[in-house]
Amino acid sequence: MHEVTMPKLSLTMETGKIVRWLKKEGDKVEKGEPILEIETEKVTVEVEAPASGILHKILAKEGEDVPIQKTIAIIREPGEEIPEEVAAPPVEAKKPEVVAVTEKPLERIKASPLAKRLAKEYGVDLTKIKGTGPGGRIVKEDVLRAVEEAKAAAVTVTPTPTPVTVEKAKVVPLTSMRKTIGRRMAQSLQTAPQLTITMEVDMSEAVKFREQITSVTEKKLNLRVTYTDIIVKAVAKALKEFPFINSRLEGDQLKLLEEVNVGVATAVEDGLVVPVVKNADKKSLIEVASEIRSLVEKARQGKLSIEDVSGGTFTVTNLGMYGVDVFTPIINPPESAILGVGRIVEKPVVINGQITIRPLTVLSLTFDHRVTDGAQAAVFLQRVKDLLEKPALLFIE
Amino acid sequence: MNLNKNTLIEIYRNIVLLRKLDEKLIELFTAGKVPGWIHPYVGQEAVVAGVAPHVRKDDFFCATHRGRAVHVLKGTPLRKFVAELLGRKTGINKGRAGEMHVMNWEVHSVSSGIVGATFPMAVGFGIACKLEGGDKIVFCTFGDGASNRGTFHESLNMASVWKLPIVFICENNLYAQFTPSKLTTSVSDIAKRASAYNMPSTIVDGMDPIAVYEAVGEAVERARKREGPTLVECKTYRYHGHFYGDKWETYRSPEEVEAWKKKDPVITFKERLLKDGVLTEKLVEEIYNDVNSQVEDALKFAFESPEPSPEDVYEDL
Amino acid sequence: MGKKTIAYIDAIREALREEMLRDPKVIVIGEDVGLGQGAFTVTKGLYQEFGKDRVIDTPISEESIIGACVGAAMAGLRPVAEIMFNPFMALVMDPLINHASCYKYVSGGQVKVPMVIRTLVCQGRGAGHDHAPFYASWFMHVPYIRVIVPSTPYDAKGLLKTAIRDDYPCIFYEHIDFYPRKPNLGEIPEEEYTIPLGKADIKKEGSDVTIVAILTGVKTSLSAAKKLEEDGINVEVVDPRTLAPLDKQTILDSVKKTGRLVIVETDFKTAGVGAEIAAIVAEEAMEYLDAPIKRVATADIPISFTNEKYILPNEEAIIKAVKDIC
Repeated sequence: MHEVTMPKLSLTMETGKIVRWLKKEGDKVEKGEPILEIETEKVTVEVEAPASGILHKILAKEGEDVPIQKTIAIIREPGEEIPEEVAAPPVEAKKPEVVAVTEKPLERIKASPLAKRLAKEYGVDLTKIKGTGPGGRIVKEDVLRAVEEAKAAAVTVTPTPTPVTVEKAKVVPLTSMRKTIGRRMAQSLQTAPQLTITMEVDMSEAVKFREQITSVTEKKLNLRVTYTDIIVKAVAKALKEFPFINSRLEGDQLKLLEEVNVGVATAVEDGLVVPVVKNADKKSLIEVASEIRSLVEKARQGKLSIEDVSGGTFTVTNLGMYGVDVFTPIINPPESAILGVGRIVEKPVVINGQITIRPLTVLSLTFDHRVTDGAQAAVFLQRVKDLLEKPALLFIE
Repeated sequence: MNLNKNTLIEIYRNIVLLRKLDEKLIELFTAGKVPGWIHPYVGQEAVVAGVAPHVRKDDFFCATHRGRAVHVLKGTPLRKFVAELLGRKTGINKGRAGEMHVMNWEVHSVSSGIVGATFPMAVGFGIACKLEGGDKIVFCTFGDGASNRGTFHESLNMASVWKLPIVFICENNLYAQFTPSKLTTSVSDIAKRASAYNMPSTIVDGMDPIAVYEAVGEAVERARKREGPTLVECKTYRYHGHFYGDKWETYRSPEEVEAWKKKDPVITFKERLLKDGVLTEKLVEEIYNDVNSQVEDALKFAFESPEPSPEDVYEDL
Repeated sequence: MGKKTIAYIDAIREALREEMLRDPKVIVIGEDVGLGQGAFTVTKGLYQEFGKDRVIDTPISEESIIGACVGAAMAGLRPVAEIMFNPFMALVMDPLINHASCYKYVSGGQVKVPMVIRTLVCQGRGAGHDHAPFYASWFMHVPYIRVIVPSTPYDAKGLLKTAIRDDYPCIFYEHIDFYPRKPNLGEIPEEEYTIPLGKADIKKEGSDVTIVAILTGVKTSLSAAKKLEEDGINVEVVDPRTLAPLDKQTILDSVKKTGRLVIVETDFKTAGVGAEIAAIVAEEAMEYLDAPIKRVATADIPISFTNEKYILPNEEAIIKAVKDIC
């Protein structure tokens, strides 16, 4: 008989959650074969069978949190007899899911007031979070971690695909990040009625502006200011003037957020992350630019922290470098809007009755129709356009 | 000290006014129209009436919770005084002070609900008078009971050693609250205590306003010349209890009260002045009518005035 | 803008002297303040300079001294009294709380009572149960009495000048630990300056936990903060400087930033000044608290002349409280 125990995967790991059993009771297992998936604070991993035999008994259910080194399953050798007591679950009996209200009151969740508020803001379920504060209290750190787990990339090894039928195809399993992105985008579209409005922007002044700045910053600070940097700054300024856009809908209350934290969608190897520039309205263009540069670097190296990706109030996503002109970005929940940026391309335009050539780009603003209407969204977008067409305005109130 | 006719009439008039006022207040109190308590001065009018002619507008005056009508004699309009007692916002203190704490800083007169609290205040006024130069002085009236407080002793000591221009006037009415003073006070003449502080003192019949006037007059002159403080003890009596409605029959004999009522200044002083030709019956009647109409007028004004509103509560903070 | 270095005790004397020169209504009154040069030499030299009419030596008559200040203040003077040890304030309660604090309002705005009482917190010297306690919450509790607790020479001078010019009764607490010159030097402007009441001072900025510290608590908290830094805990130390009026906004902003609050006070814990500060924070910033509020205060037992080292707050207690919630 062999016991399968909850492994300790890191110094600080105290419990692991059973995500999925890959084998059922009675199945044959081989030593080294993955038999279940567990989730820790940081990663989702497979646990391999420590020996070959038959999976005799599963002692911990899917979704259960188990302390490390506790037995979660028993593998018996073929023909072996296992006495009942041993097979009985040594793990603490899981409380029944449905508690008769008359007999026993629901357990109170121990959480600090700050943690409760953050959980509400991020839409995280407190009952699903494990607290690391005194007495198991859920504190701010725990909530932010839960937020990160919902967003961040998970290291996984996926299970073997189920056998397919007639269709000929190469099956590529979805990565955890892909799954997370898919789930969030589907949720976003399901909950928020979204529509996109577009505006063409004359980027001549912005082009000149960027050249002037970059020629100095490259030499002095080894920093190239990009159009994304300038757009983030313009957006931050406009958001301060249009608090309805820098907001979060909670039930039927619209919270106008004081901080302007602009997320910048960044492509990484297996998907997309959105690091956030906090208080972008209060930072200078150079500060914003260097912060975005270092966040992107961290993203590429997979080193973004929970803080880096949380607290966003608006997102900017730039597909210009991929040749996209116009698109319909999907809002990053729980924000109220998202700005898509297309490529800058020289086009003929008519100015004062004359045809001339200008570098143009299209801004695509998707907004949550529960929060605002096309007219107001357009005024906001017009302001962003204004700031980009006259960059000097970025520096005055 | 010669008292001219007008001063005598003024003194008499004030005795009548003080009496009438308190009688009216008792009437209203029994009808449930006065908030808080009232502490009738009835019987002691001769003291304050005898002091008042010496008091200048800018002198400081510490009144007692019983002799509070002195604020009127010092220059507070009767209407505003009565309105204050009835808790109206037109009162001299906007309806916030009430009977025990009525004060009018325009004429530098204060009182306190804490027995004995005014002694040190008088010392403070005295320090200010001295520093200013000039000849402003301080009057500090108090009862025999108050002279047992620590502040009495501390303050008389300081007044004496610093030669402060204070006239201490004790209205010894033989009772402190509900207990005869002889059971609680180690001396029967409060004036004796002044000598413990090297302070001159004198004892007078508090039912005789002229005796009061003359004794206080001397003390006032000393103070104005910056020769130091004096204590004038006036033997007097209150016909009612400590506050109106208390069961004074339990701690005083009705015979005692009757004996003192025979000395009632409203009657005895009137008779004296009639005899001396200062007053005539006609003048007495005029004075009574005038006082009555003044008091009625003040009461009417007070009853027609509004009480403080919730907004008024947060002013002057 | 020139600066000069000055000791706490000299800063207080300077404030007194400047105000006495500026306003002939300012007088100093108390036991041993004049000829005796002040029990702790704070009023040294004032008697010689201003004379016996403005620097008044009194008999041992605390209640009446303060009652006299009430009268003198009403009559237009600005008395600065000295009550040698703050527990003696028990003797002056009546004139202070039943009269001084109420008269402006109760008179209907006719009078004001502008007076200052300077008093001493004498802890850590074996002064005993009737000299060593620190009673400030008594007066925070009474509306319109100012409670001032300066911990540096700069704060002391600026606040005393403001207190003397203020039209309400002010109690100005000095701590004996601040009297020795060398360890209590600070920089102040050479030019005249004042500090408004109701404005706290952040003595050290931080991000992980807010310590609101009172009087000597400021010094102990700053040295505890240095040690906590080594453990990676970045402490913010807020010195309220005045407990009444209290700068709520600075305290709330700090707690909103850090999410944690420790109050360091050398008065007794129960119903001490920390209780009020904690109640305010719980009431107005609950959603920003990531941990319970902690108070580091003197144990609720009488202070004897030998037990101070066990029952007064010290650096260790502060460090423990901070670590308990970080």
